[in-house]
Amino acid sequence: MNSMEKSRGNLLLEFFSEEIPAMMQLNSEIQLQNLFVKSLTKRNIAFESFKTFSGPRHLSIIIKSIELEQKDQEIEKRGPRFDANQKAIDGFLKSNQLKIGETIIKETNNGKFYFHSQIIKGQKTYEILPEIISEIINGFVWPKSQRWANTDLKWARPLRNIVLLLNDDVVRGKVEIGKNVFLNFTNFTFPHRYSDKKIVINKIENYEQLLEENFVILDRNKRLDKIINDTSSLLDKGKLKLVNDKSLLEEVVGLVEYPNILIGSISNEFMKLPREVLSTAMRVHQKYFSITDKENNLNSKFLFVANSIKEKNRDFRVIEGNERVLKARLSDASYFFENDIANTFENWNEKLKHVLFYESLGSLHDKIIRMANISKIFAKEFGVKSELAKQAAILSKADLVSEIVMEFPELQGIMGGHYAKIKNEHKEVTKAIFEHYKPKGVSDDLPETKLGSLLSMVDKIDTLVGFFSIDKKPTGSKDPFALRRNSFSIVQILINFKINLSLNELFEPSLNEYGCSSQSIKRNLIDFMIDKLKYVFSYKKNRMDVVNSVLNTKFINDIPIKIISSRIHSMSKFTENNDFKIFLANYKRINNILKSEKFSNDAVLQVNTKVFDTIEEQNIYNLSKSFSKEIFKKGICEKSQDILINYLIKMNEPISLFFDNVIVNHIDHKVRINRLNLLKNLHNSISKFSIFEFIED
Amino acid sequence: MSANNSFQKIITSLQSYWIDQGCVLLQPYDLEVGAGTFHPATVLRVLGPDPIWKAAYVQPCRRPTDGRYGENPNRLQHYYQFQVIIQPSPEDIQNLYLESLKFIGLNPKDHDIRFVEDDWESPTLGASGLGWEIWCDGMEISQFTYFQQVGGIEVKPVASEITYGLERLAMFIQKIENVYDLDWDGNDKKKGGKTYGDIFLQQEKEFSKYNFEKSETSALFKQFNDAETECKNLLDDNKNLLALPAYHQCIKASHIFNLLDARGVISVSERQSYILRVRNMARSSCLAWMGKLNE
Repeated sequence: MNSMEKSRGNLLLEFFSEEIPAMMQLNSEIQLQNLFVKSLTKRNIAFESFKTFSGPRHLSIIIKSIELEQKDQEIEKRGPRFDANQKAIDGFLKSNQLKIGETIIKETNNGKFYFHSQIIKGQKTYEILPEIISEIINGFVWPKSQRWANTDLKWARPLRNIVLLLNDDVVRGKVEIGKNVFLNFTNFTFPHRYSDKKIVINKIENYEQLLEENFVILDRNKRLDKIINDTSSLLDKGKLKLVNDKSLLEEVVGLVEYPNILIGSISNEFMKLPREVLSTAMRVHQKYFSITDKENNLNSKFLFVANSIKEKNRDFRVIEGNERVLKARLSDASYFFENDIANTFENWNEKLKHVLFYESLGSLHDKIIRMANISKIFAKEFGVKSELAKQAAILSKADLVSEIVMEFPELQGIMGGHYAKIKNEHKEVTKAIFEHYKPKGVSDDLPETKLGSLLSMVDKIDTLVGFFSIDKKPTGSKDPFALRRNSFSIVQILINFKINLSLNELFEPSLNEYGCSSQSIKRNLIDFMIDKLKYVFSYKKNRMDVVNSVLNTKFINDIPIKIISSRIHSMSKFTENNDFKIFLANYKRINNILKSEKFSNDAVLQVNTKVFDTIEEQNIYNLSKSFSKEIFKKGICEKSQDILINYLIKMNEPISLFFDNVIVNHIDHKVRINRLNLLKNLHNSISKFSIFEFIED
Repeated sequence: MSANNSFQKIITSLQSYWIDQGCVLLQPYDLEVGAGTFHPATVLRVLGPDPIWKAAYVQPCRRPTDGRYGENPNRLQHYYQFQVIIQPSPEDIQNLYLESLKFIGLNPKDHDIRFVEDDWESPTLGASGLGWEIWCDGMEISQFTYFQQVGGIEVKPVASEITYGLERLAMFIQKIENVYDLDWDGNDKKKGGKTYGDIFLQQEKEFSKYNFEKSETSALFKQFNDAETECKNLLDDNKNLLALPAYHQCIKASHIFNLLDARGVISVSERQSYILRVRNMARSSCLAWMGKLNE
């Protein structure tokens, strides 16, 4: 036990810098841990555990029970063969400065060889640490970083101090951060900005507490907990609740070292503004949280997190200051809002003629016209009135040139909806404009209304087709026009509203609008969408193999999405069914036979019924014909997918009988070929439903 | 209102503070600019010749699109910045800044001061840097930037730029909600004391009207082209490069572009090309200043 204590100790590393952007902090913590662990592992230095911290200025790691000395390393070098000529042996000895007696001869798979093994004595950990720290610093990758003064090193913001303690002692050393610019390792750090005094860290185990006493909570989870707990105790008394805003909360945790929850009031005159304007103005510019009552009405109070120690006079001053700022922000917003209300949709749409959608894709006005034309075509599928669909499209982009959306781009759609309502547009149109930017990702809510979904889909189809038509499709990780997200949204709407449109039908009207007749562009679009369908279906917890087997069906672009969806659903249900498993086994057997015969996938082969000499052959022949008929009849009926699978299951017995009683590999070449063709035709027929090869056992 | 926190007192306090920090005190550049950064004392000086450069100055700024006909209590098309540029960026620059606030009656310890990420970029100057907005009780009172590039050229050593928004700062200190109510001189109104509105309200009204409605756009287009041509001519003779006058033309062009923008006569697609043209002027002037044009 005692010797263990002597050979191990704790380590503290802290990078103290000027304020690191909030959203980079968590990742930097993870990076620090990964880089450090990698450096230690590489050098055979063991440790027990670690804990990391990150905040605006302090980024640190404590490594518990790290070895104080590197393990000795044995390096074995292979020399020439035992029977090599003397010249080679002498060369080996000379280059390694060895005498013949210092080598050993070992047997390997390739014969006997000279070997020399060398023990490299492990270094003291503190001797290696400067090199490790330099490796970590230079290995760090920030999303954005900078130089400062005369440094060459890039850090998110200037790195000012490095604490490096081993066993509570400062490690002597420094790192070079520029030509002849160094940072020495220290044993002190800095407290909250309320004090300018350095604080000396005497014991690593007290590090976290020492800083907390100096009003820096190092652990971001502790800061988060403090914010949540203090908030709920403040609000519970007033029966109010915070509007849930996880990403704002995470950001705020990165903006403060010592969170102090304060509550201010919104001036009454602004409470008439749309709620979204209020909460956006508060959130985006000021990072304030909105508060609602139990009925979810916006309250005239707002909550914010100051970076300070509670102190009555100061808190009062800080609240007053923040209220004044908010008042200025909101008076700006209400100025814009009043101007917008005095404006008209006609006027805005006229302005859209001068706003480019994208080079060679026309103006935003061109876009709404295209959208209106497509909307009319799809209206029936969505069960909405064609006139309303057109009107919604025509009004959908006007708010992009309204003053308030120019100021708060994230209010696009929402303000359009408000203004349409104020201008007495049809209720459904109003709602559709309001929600047509939804869903904003695979996990976002869909529009609630059918008209809203149609508008959302049409908007995205127009964007997708437009950019594909000018060859701006996403490549690799680059997707500057968010086409992937757009297509996910289209897919979600199609699936959710069970839209009876095939991929072909989906793109045809939009391609026409762009006057694009290129088959390869259409093919690219469809392939792109199939890929997204795969993703969304598997995101919805379907088995990937089932999804693949259905989506690889031939002519998939002619099958309505709702059928694809229900087929995947049905298949998923049956995957655990025993009869279905037997069908799959049979299918696999047929497939293997055909594969070994190297039939091309598309081959359609003549079967000569006159060559049949068993009833089983005739049965198979009938099966394949009738299934083809059946799938033609019922294939595009949403509710018939189960029936079709049952139909497949019913093939089990005839197929088994066929394999039991019929020899495919008949000596008569003509009979053999006819039987293979028979199986191929059955295979073709089944493949109209799904490519079962993809299903895994 | 006490004379201690008047608008002009804030300016003189900042001036004497930064003089004490070793800055040369300069006067505004005598052209319309969009920000204090445009002053040659910032743009050109951070590129050399001396690697040590410390300057402070007030710069009136014009942002034609921000005009509100004097009707908005917070937005102006003409306002003042106090600019500090120090190269190389000192190690304690954040503290130097916080210390400066005490001299204008704002003790950081009595407030909630925050350094909030704000990456700065000036497309027309081809300049960029990382830094923060500095918040005091939720109000952005300054901007802080570590210059990484100017005119598309790496700034070495890195300079730190501090920009105080004087109106905002004064409004905060005087606890005023309308910029036009700011106390300018600290003198009693009855004895002829002036507010910000007394001095600038009429200017805001007239210039808003000029910027948005009355400026002669065909003349402006011509002026833009003329400035561009002159800039090129001044950098034509390799033996006789006139970097400062060339940059002067670049500043002119930049403001003319802003005026045209306010009139809404530059379409989205043209916009980019105008910005590029100004940037090219800035870049050439910067290179000429460094003696590296045509290298």
